[in-house]
This record gives sequence, C-alpha cells and structure tokens, in this order.
Amino acid sequence: MIGLSDYLVVAACLFSLGVVGLFLNRKNVITILMCVELILLAVNINFVAFSHYMQDLGGQIFVFFVLTIAASEVAVGLAILVAYYRTRRSIEVEDMNSLQG
Amino acid sequence: MANITFPFPYPEHLGIMLPEILLAVLAMALLLWDLFVPKEKKGMIAWAAVASCVVTLIALLQLPAGDSLHTFYGYFVLDPFAAYAKVLMIAATVLAIFLSLDFMKDEQNVGEYYCLMLFALLGMMFMVSATNFVVMYLGLELMALCVYVLVAYQRDVLRSSEAGLKYFILGALSSGMLLYGLSFIYGVTTDFMFAGIGEALRHVEDGSRLAVLLGMLFIIAGLAFKVSVAPFHMWTPDTYEGAPTPVTAFMSVAPKVAGFVVFIRVLADAFPALQTEYTTVLSVLAVLTIGIGNVAAIAQRNIKRMLAYSTIGHVGFMLLGLIAATQEGYSGAMVYLTIYLFMNMGAFAIIVLMRRDGIQGELLDDFAGLARVRPGYALAMGLLLFSLAGIPFLAGFWAKFAVFAAAIHSGHIWLAVYAIVFSVVGCFYYLRVVKYMYFDKERVAFNFIENPVMQATVVVTSLAVVIFGLYPKPVMAMCSAAVSMF
Repeated sequence: MIGLSDYLVVAACLFSLGVVGLFLNRKNVITILMCVELILLAVNINFVAFSHYMQDLGGQIFVFFVLTIAASEVAVGLAILVAYYRTRRSIEVEDMNSLQG
Repeated sequence: MANITFPFPYPEHLGIMLPEILLAVLAMALLLWDLFVPKEKKGMIAWAAVASCVVTLIALLQLPAGDSLHTFYGYFVLDPFAAYAKVLMIAATVLAIFLSLDFMKDEQNVGEYYCLMLFALLGMMFMVSATNFVVMYLGLELMALCVYVLVAYQRDVLRSSEAGLKYFILGALSSGMLLYGLSFIYGVTTDFMFAGIGEALRHVEDGSRLAVLLGMLFIIAGLAFKVSVAPFHMWTPDTYEGAPTPVTAFMSVAPKVAGFVVFIRVLADAFPALQTEYTTVLSVLAVLTIGIGNVAAIAQRNIKRMLAYSTIGHVGFMLLGLIAATQEGYSGAMVYLTIYLFMNMGAFAIIVLMRRDGIQGELLDDFAGLARVRPGYALAMGLLLFSLAGIPFLAGFWAKFAVFAAAIHSGHIWLAVYAIVFSVVGCFYYLRVVKYMYFDKERVAFNFIENPVMQATVVVTSLAVVIFGLYPKPVMAMCSAAVSMF
C-alpha cells in the first residue's frame, strides 16, 4: 500500500533535485528552467497527496493555479532567455558575467 | 450577509474591489490603445498610465477606510493596513512613471512598458489585500512576472537582459520554496486562510510539529527572497545594476512595500502560535542582512550597486519591526517603508537625470564635482543621502528611530544596539558620495536630462525628506492607525 509519506518522499526528492540542479548546473540556462519546473511539480505532488489524504478539495484546486502560473512563468522566462541570447549569442551559465561589482 | 441564495458575491461587495477592477480595466484598455498610438506620441501612454493611477487612488480613497471590509467570501479584505499600503504603492508607481518619461522614450514599444507597471501595481494591490495564500500567491506572481519583464526591458542592452534572467531564475526558485512550505502548512491545517491556519496551528499534535516548522521556514525563506533579506539577497545587486534605472527605482520600493505587508500579515495572522520560533529565525536573518548590506556597500564603485546593498541594509532594519511583533513594531516598519520610498525614489531620480550619451551616470566617480556643475542636484542628493544615512532631523532618522524603539520596547536590546552600530558603519558610504560631490574635481561632462517633470520629482522627494524630518508626527500617526487591528 502506498501511503502519504511515500508521496511526500518522492516530492521531497524531486524538490531537492530541482534545487541542487539549479545551483550545481554550470552548463546552460534551459536546464535551469527545467529545474524550476521540477520544483513546481514536486510542490503539486505534495498538494495532491495532502488533498487526497485529508479529503479536502482545496489543495487540488490550488494545483490548477500553480500549473497555470508555472506555464506563464516559463513563457516569460523563455522570452527573456531569447532576448538574452540575441545579444550574448550564448546561453552558457558561465557566460553570464557582465554584472559584477 | 444573511440568507445568501445567489451563489455569487453581491455586487455591492464588489465595490470594495473597485480600485483593482478599475486598474485592471484601464491597464488592458491602455494596452489596446497603445497599438493605435504612433511612435512619436508614446508619451501620451505614460500620462494615461498616470491618470489610471490617479483614478485608482480616487476610487480607493472614497471607500470607507475605517474598518475591515471583506468580499469574495472573505478572500479579499480592505482594511486600513491594505489601504495605506495601496496608497504608498500607487505613489511609488506614479513616481517611477515620471522617472521613465525621458529615460525610456527611445525604447521600442514603450507603451507596453507603462502597462506592465500598471499590471505590477495590480498584482501588488491584490497581495496586500490577500487574506489567504491563494490570492497572495496569484498577486505575487502577477507582480513578479511583470517586474521580470520590466527589468529585461532594454532588449539590446546585454546587462538588462542578463539582470532579467538572473532575477527570473532566483524569483522562480523563491516562489517554489514558498509553495513547498505552503504545501506542508496546508497538509497539516487543510486551510489556506491566514486566520484559519493561525487557529489550527494553536493545537497541533506533536507528530506534525516538524512539518509545521519546515513549512514555516520555507515560507519565510520564500518571502525573504522577495524582500531581499540575506542570505537570499544574491539577486539584488545584479538586478539593480542591470535594470533600467527607473525600473530599479520602482522595484526597490513598491514590491518591498507589498512584500513587507504580506510578511506582516503571514507572521501575525498565520503563525502567531510559532512566535518564538519565527522570532529566532528572523533575528538571525536580520543580523546577517544588516551586516552584509552595510559592509558590502562600502566596496561598491557603481552607485546603483551601492544603493542595492544599502537597500539590503534598510530591509534588515525594517525586519526589526517584524521581530518586535508588536503594533509599535509593525507601525515602525510601515513608517520606515513610507520614508524609504521618498528617499530612494529621490536618489534614483538624480541618477536617472545624469544620463550621458545613452550611458547613465552610475559610477561613483561620475558624481565628482557635481556641486560645481549642478549645485541644486548636489544639494538634493546630499539631503537624500544624509537621510538614508539616518542623520538626525531628516526623515531617515525617524524611520530608524521608529523601528529601533519598537525593538527595544519588545526586549531585543542587543539587536537594536547591533543595528545602531551598523547604521553608523552605513554612514561612511553615503557620506563618501557627498565628499565626491562637494570636494572633488569633475572628471566627465554630462548632458543632464532637462525634463521639468523629472526635476519636479527630485524637488518633491527631497522636500518630503526634509518635511518628514521636521514633522514626523503625521506619518507616524497614519502608520499606527494603519496597523491598529493587530
């Protein structure tokens, strides 16, 4: 039987994977966007699991809000990335160094 | 409220939301109208955006502000706290639009720029009126998405899009952390309303305590990111430096107001049961923030970067009000935000005016000898910097006084002493700029932007700093009235 804690562990793994990927990743920015998605989806798993376990619909409704906003967030992020690529001609994380004090 | 048969909120309840509804409609209409305005007349859009802000302000002020009014089944509240924050944010938006007038006029599609500012304002207005995490999150994202785009608005300037990208990545991470924490709080309490969570957390079983603590820590971390509290401040200097200066001015003030209002509501309404825990966490964060902000600012050669670290320092001082967790503390934080709005807007206004051949005057060296070239600007900048440093009888002194007094009265004496020591350290880098302006020879010649509206902004903000400094009573009274329900 798969219980609540199993879902929470999966979500925690995905969340940490996302955060670690975001900070350790030295290759390119697309990977970072994927890590952000991973974080938000881990949150959704949490919400759905809790919502089912507590027999309360609120969490599942909130998941729809999170999904919608995640979609618009990625749209904005990719748009900024395209603008960045046009001037920099690279999306390597290591090349993001024009701002340093 | 009795016998609700119609399954929708009453129309008269919608009246409480009238400012937001008007702003949303006007901003969308403006976006549409922008398509028909020829490029050389885009200035009209800016003035229309200012007019929309004024309409929103009037709609807000005609609402009865005395007590808490709820709509949408209690998901949206208009109380004096929210109303006061909204007035501040509208003022910040109008000032930021004034600063953009000449600065942004060469950009492509500049009409959209003003619409984005209005939508960001709309998001912030929802944030401060939220009584639950759903509305708060939606407002927060509406604001954040608009500000990401505003930061990256100068598409052919590398620094601008890089700043936007960095801000976006760390902003998205912070929302993720906020949501992850929220999911645990929801799991324990099955509620999204601040008040409901606060009630449920009063009697939590011991088994759930860890989940609650984890949830609260993540929520605090997510909110701390938004108001740039160390160690979640990494995005601030880069973003402030790269963003177009009017946007920097806007985002150093308005989102901070919204963020702090949400922070206060969440801590006071949702987590009163965990006050000892969150006070400890916030004290650590405040010590880090005040230290990092004031020390790192000394090393900066770029004035926008310096002001970014100074913002971090000021945010640390504001945190003292939240740590005090009393009415006096919350009112102190609001006093600080009010005065900080004028100080920062004024300082950025002068940086905007010093644009030279498409390059902003943003190195500290550029300020050398300003007193000889433009004595008026140097005087205004001097006043604003003295005020930011907290020299007595300018507004900044009373801002610091309000939060320090609250911290001492609530027993956090060492924290207050620490903050006072670091505000003295902070004086150094503000006064260094004054030294450059008055005692050094000029090195570069500037073409100042000659725009009466922008110059008026400088005059208004520096006058405000002097007047609030001499008569701090009205601001303090307004702020303590605004937080009276805590």
